[in-house]
Amino acid sequence: MKNQKKDTAKRIVRMLGLAILSAGILTLSGCGKKSEAAREVAIAEGKALVEKGRGAVPACVACHGANGEGVEAAGYPRLAGLNSGYIEKQLKDLGRKLPPAGVVIESVAKDYSKTPRIYSDLTVFSPGLRHDEVMSSIAKKLSASDIHNVAAYYSSLPFQAKPVAADYEVLERGQDLALRGKPEYGLPACVSCHAPDGEGFGADFPPLAGQPAAYIVNQINKWQSGDRDNDNLGLMRAVADQLTDADKLNVAAYYANRSLTVKGK
Amino acid sequence: MTRLIYSLIALSGLIAQTGSATELQQGEVRPAAYDARANIPTGLTREKAIRQIPAINPGEYFVPPEVGDIPTSKYGDMVKLGRNIFIDTQHYAKRYVGNGLNCSNCHLQEGRKPFAGPLWAAYPMYPEFRNKTRDVVTYEKRVQDCFRFSMNGIAPTLDSPEIKAITAYSHWLSKGAPINKELPGRGFARLSKPRDPTPVNGEKLYKENCASCHGIDGKGQKFANRGGYMFPPLWGGDSFNHGAGMSSVKDCAQFTKANMPLGKGWTLTDMEAWDVCTYIWLQDRPWDPRFGWFFNIFTPPTGGN
Repeated sequence: MKNQKKDTAKRIVRMLGLAILSAGILTLSGCGKKSEAAREVAIAEGKALVEKGRGAVPACVACHGANGEGVEAAGYPRLAGLNSGYIEKQLKDLGRKLPPAGVVIESVAKDYSKTPRIYSDLTVFSPGLRHDEVMSSIAKKLSASDIHNVAAYYSSLPFQAKPVAADYEVLERGQDLALRGKPEYGLPACVSCHAPDGEGFGADFPPLAGQPAAYIVNQINKWQSGDRDNDNLGLMRAVADQLTDADKLNVAAYYANRSLTVKGK
Repeated sequence: MTRLIYSLIALSGLIAQTGSATELQQGEVRPAAYDARANIPTGLTREKAIRQIPAINPGEYFVPPEVGDIPTSKYGDMVKLGRNIFIDTQHYAKRYVGNGLNCSNCHLQEGRKPFAGPLWAAYPMYPEFRNKTRDVVTYEKRVQDCFRFSMNGIAPTLDSPEIKAITAYSHWLSKGAPINKELPGRGFARLSKPRDPTPVNGEKLYKENCASCHGIDGKGQKFANRGGYMFPPLWGGDSFNHGAGMSSVKDCAQFTKANMPLGKGWTLTDMEAWDVCTYIWLQDRPWDPRFGWFFNIFTPPTGGN
């Protein structure tokens, strides 16, 4: 008798649990269906553009590899598995027209002590700039929706890094810079923003692992020369200004030597 | 209690902004947040920055030995364990940690960075008198306090491997440093305080300079595919508690001035560092465990995130 009661109680509990679980699954699958579908469409559109190009826009696969893995020898960056927000921002900045030389953008002065006005509405922030001989002209031809689609496609791709061999001492010095930076000169370690394995974090901090060494060196050169100017809070410029030529080569070799697996979404 | 009252007053907006900004001359306007080459968002132009940010000359600060030079011995193993605990406290000292932080979140670059509480400058100064406990404390006891307040956890016993390892790591980093001599770069920056700080300005500064990493809610940013924080929380249940050094506005401002935003130390003015830390100090965080029993009766516990 007691056992029977226990059994029915158990059954009721189990059925309730099942009901709750199935309801949860149903609501979850219902949620975000629309955005999921929109993303699928964007990925498909992006895939078409990446593989075939359109009119004056060449196919991305020509330089960035069939699966967005980049080209080691030429220093063309990998795009597979990058954050979609990051790709979008870079394409927009690459496509932006450079201001004519010598023009200084006057902005509203900030002095919080004089008046409690909200200055963020008035301050003129320069849009970030990024100039590249090849990519700038291509990015100018892309519409906003193209950029969105291409970013959605590339961020959905899986990626498997192929570590490039390098000299032991070079790797050791690169690792020292990557993990510890130069404390006595105030240069932070790469991992403090680009994540512990160099896999990147969010839309502001791109991955370093899996990128061709030549690409990393080129970009640091551009940060230093001012050809690239689109970092969050000027963080990367402050870092790049302190890197010697040897530092660039060591750290680029170190990150090209790292293994990395990104699961496709 | 005074803190509670003061924060209530401040939060209700009754604090008047005292004085005027002394960084600017009358009629002088702060330069743009943007100039063609150096976007230092604190209103410093590149020229100004070059004058204000101290240039560092080779040999100015003590240089600790390299990680590759850790000896292969029992001592070396202890040093390695200490380094592991230091940079990944969440994993290697799990038993004693009560929040989401690692030692190296504040003692930047594995405890090597001058003006970020470098271990090589701290270790040779102990035993020393501490005002906090009004007692002479050894280095080990000082590390215990880190666990209790900054890590919002439980102090390991003095003979625990964790304390031993951190002490060994500090000892190894201090190789060649003079004993009981104040080294340049010890602790944090020294600041002037031209006026009383205001959290109103602090909030603006926080949103502009800090929020993109530490989050607009100050709760830091977590990894998507692993445990722990990419950018540490500055307040909330996963941050240091009210008894930690970083919870005092002064310590926080001194740290911020020298080290934040990361890689751009010394770009905030002294007053900006005070302001932003006053804003951070007003936020919710776990109570000081020494007074916790009192507050916990009258206030709900801080929620984690």
